[in-house]
Amino acid sequence: MGGRAMQTEMNPGKGDRQTVLVCCGTGCTANGGREVFKAFSQSLQHHPEIEVLPVVKATGCNGWCEKGPLVRLIPKDITYCSVAPADVDEIISKTLLQGVPVKRLLYRDPVSKEHLTSHHLTDFYRKQHKIALRNIGEIDPGQIDDYIQRGGYQALQKALLGMERQEVIDTIKAAGLRGRGGGGFPTGQKWQACRNAAGNPKYIICNGDEGDPGAFMDRSIMEGDPHTVIEGMCLGAYAVGAARGYIYVRDEYDLAVQYLRQAIDDARQRGYLGKNILNSELSFDIELVRGGGAFVCGEETALLASIEGRVGEPHDKYVFPTEKGLWGKPTVINNVETWANVPVIMLHGAESFAAIGTDKSKGTKVFSLVGKVVNTGLVEVPMGTTLREIIYEIGGGVLKKRSFKAVQTGGPSGGCIPAALLDLPIDFDSLTEAGSMMGSGGLIVMDDHTCMVEVARYYVSFLAGESCGKCTPCREGIRALLEILTRICEGQGSIEDLDLLEDISVTMQQASLCALGRTAPNPVLSTLRYFRDEYLEHIQQQRCPAGVCRALSVFHIDPEICNGCGVCVRHCSVNAIRGEKKQVHVIDESICIHCGECYRQCAFDAIKLR
Amino acid sequence: MMKINVNGQQREAHAGESILDLCRREGIPIPTFCYHQAFGGQGACRMCMVEIKEEGQTRSRMVAACTYPLTQPAEITTESEQILRIRRTIAMLLARRADKNALLETMCQKYGASRLPAIVVEPANCILCGLCIHACAEMGKSAIWSMFRGVDKRIATPYDEASDDCMGCAACAQVCPTQAIKVEEEGAVRRIWNKTFALVACTRCGKPYATRDELDYLGQHGDFGQEKLCEACRRKTLAANMQTFQA
Amino acid sequence: MQIDAKEYENASAYQSLIKTYAGKPEYLLAIMQDIQRQYNYLPRLAITMIASHVGLPVSRVYAMASFYKAFSLTPKGRFVIRVCDGTACHIKNSETLLDQLEKQLQVRPGQTTADGLFSVETVNCLGACALAPVMVINGKVYGKVNRSEVERIIKEYGGQSDAN
Repeated sequence: MGGRAMQTEMNPGKGDRQTVLVCCGTGCTANGGREVFKAFSQSLQHHPEIEVLPVVKATGCNGWCEKGPLVRLIPKDITYCSVAPADVDEIISKTLLQGVPVKRLLYRDPVSKEHLTSHHLTDFYRKQHKIALRNIGEIDPGQIDDYIQRGGYQALQKALLGMERQEVIDTIKAAGLRGRGGGGFPTGQKWQACRNAAGNPKYIICNGDEGDPGAFMDRSIMEGDPHTVIEGMCLGAYAVGAARGYIYVRDEYDLAVQYLRQAIDDARQRGYLGKNILNSELSFDIELVRGGGAFVCGEETALLASIEGRVGEPHDKYVFPTEKGLWGKPTVINNVETWANVPVIMLHGAESFAAIGTDKSKGTKVFSLVGKVVNTGLVEVPMGTTLREIIYEIGGGVLKKRSFKAVQTGGPSGGCIPAALLDLPIDFDSLTEAGSMMGSGGLIVMDDHTCMVEVARYYVSFLAGESCGKCTPCREGIRALLEILTRICEGQGSIEDLDLLEDISVTMQQASLCALGRTAPNPVLSTLRYFRDEYLEHIQQQRCPAGVCRALSVFHIDPEICNGCGVCVRHCSVNAIRGEKKQVHVIDESICIHCGECYRQCAFDAIKLR
Repeated sequence: MMKINVNGQQREAHAGESILDLCRREGIPIPTFCYHQAFGGQGACRMCMVEIKEEGQTRSRMVAACTYPLTQPAEITTESEQILRIRRTIAMLLARRADKNALLETMCQKYGASRLPAIVVEPANCILCGLCIHACAEMGKSAIWSMFRGVDKRIATPYDEASDDCMGCAACAQVCPTQAIKVEEEGAVRRIWNKTFALVACTRCGKPYATRDELDYLGQHGDFGQEKLCEACRRKTLAANMQTFQA
Repeated sequence: MQIDAKEYENASAYQSLIKTYAGKPEYLLAIMQDIQRQYNYLPRLAITMIASHVGLPVSRVYAMASFYKAFSLTPKGRFVIRVCDGTACHIKNSETLLDQLEKQLQVRPGQTTADGLFSVETVNCLGACALAPVMVINGKVYGKVNRSEVERIIKEYGGQSDAN
């Protein structure tokens, strides 16, 4: 009850004025969203007969990138998918002027085959519960007034003018908010420690160095709703007594940097940042720091080093940053999504937030659902939602109706969850026993064409390039793990390699300097746990059952099934497949490079793995 | 002073000192690669991991002795199966970088580490303990630093070229536990980190003992005596002076 | 450390860029990013000038340059091709795109073509996972790319078509 009310209250609506929202997040822009935006802007200039002039806005990432470019019309609440500039005139004449939907652009439910007008009716959105993502796709992130109109900066006003600093901390504690970046540390406790610590000035930092491959929750919030981060940080600054803040943004996130810079400027102009904010005793300002391109800088102490002008090498956290952080001063570092929740909690109270989720994991979590799943994108659901619900009910199941093999959770620090455990609820604690973790929220769906040994190798290879290299277990451990996994994928593995993998992994988990090294073995250990037979098949049978490892995959076309459609020929980069149209095709072994493209492209399952 | 129990025995620790400092003082052995008294703990090699359970905690945890500050009563274990496994694995991994080095050979034997195939690192035998960097920063002008990252990390001068900041003092080579830093000396010339230096001769015995650059730097930072004497001759002179003084 | 005499022609340009920031280590990242953006790499002379400005040894600045992926110590190509190797792109066979690029341009990730036109890099997840596999050229995002599209796109930028 409380949750839904919270959602709609932040959406006061724009009255009668027709608005066209064109998604211009990174995903939709790649698909041509900006061209659609331009077409609308241009065409709507030439419609003097319309009584209200629709406003065209660029919005942040809706997350439903598979169906982009997305266009949403309010207040009618009609969403169009895969819109092209050529569709714009029809949308204007039919829908904006006559109120008639353009059927072919509506989302079509794959099961019921129905055309749905509102994205709120689709499975993808219906089962979501947006708090951190409440404004994404509803506002122009470059317009502070859009944010304000939807309740923005009201929480800050409420706190600054009517609450004690300790009250703010107590509210966050009562809400049960835990860090959304992966660590899950109780936020209220963190703020309390900083408030209690001696030292001045104190600092507030937003960790926007989202680095998990496959995760783009924070990107979406920084691009689509930068002010929620700013407001959250202001509330944190008030609570702990900080005067300066930094938003550390990953270097590769150009659009996020752009929108955050503008939002900071706009907030300053309106008096939400700077001296005596809203005539209160809080003076606080924020500086943007652009990362240098290092995944390890997502680790708190490495992030601090980076801001201080040093290489991103972490140090032991026997003394927390809340005591000795930036330049040795008490510092609060929280993730983007964590900050995005703060204004909502402060405005609507701790109880309504704590009413959502599970016993120890309150509120919602944003997941990035990607990989071999039908509906890819960002999904925000209450903590405790099961993996099955997210992947099948919201995600629409596995792509091309292939069989589910595993879902990787928690990025390079996490593990793979097999089909048998799909009914596990996701929250901070539930996945650890299964050998994984929720982490920052990445959910990568894998099918039977994914090799789990290669997945382990991939993650270790990623970390080999990202480890800072300071400590022995991580640097040399990752090197050794990568050598062994590569050998196994190339058919040079031995059974003793598995013992060595486990041995080195345990030392890495216990002795590494930071969480990168400590969790690096997780993908290896979890794939060994649930897919050991796949490792054994690589080692003992010299075969990759998924047809991925090139040295261990031999393909042949089954003459009984092949109908000569020629799709495989088109996808073969080395012209190794011969055959006449509508005749059985053959792979020339002497040319074939075993890349598996034909195997994956054949719609008739006519290509087999030996 | 705090009461700290180490391996079942009560010891007294200064507030804030590291576990390693306490153990060194009390004669409790903990192996290290990257620790040096002059520079303090770095927490890099991870050879010094020990188990600690502080007052009020239910479980013990594994921490680096060289950087962990003692702030309350606690129980520490410096030898356990898990700890030995860590030492064995660290030795095994580092020995790849310094395959024929005596120190690593000793450590591998001591902890029963198997040997993995050697890897080629630059400089050869470098185990990335970082002591050379500290020495250069303290004694010199930070001519070297750890460059690149991850498995490619290595100690070097910028661009691997002769550094304007290098004085050729070889303090780095002196602290290196595996003698990985090459110092080539022939006559009155020393070559180190791709740079050639002229050596100054000792005025008493004539042996080339320090680089011109090094002596100039020392001269700028304080008066270390006008007489250019090598270490041995300086001691002899000092001893002679003391005798004269006492006489 | 050797510095090419030609670099000194740019000395005042470097200096004015550097001087927009106070001479403190906390601005090191920002200064280096500005130089990188302007010159497509970090020139040697610029590195020594930065060190001097922020009061750090040259080795420290070089360490920063070699540690962070955002920086390049050698000039990058006019067109920087970034192939995303995030997990979603990886399982949708981003490796195939790299094969195609190697075939067409004869360079592997981390290398630049001899004519200075193209640099190829793998890059960490760009967060456009629904469009996997993703390739970015000088900021322009190409989604759901396959081999033949790579060939076509590279030709548009002035590269040759496949050698065979």
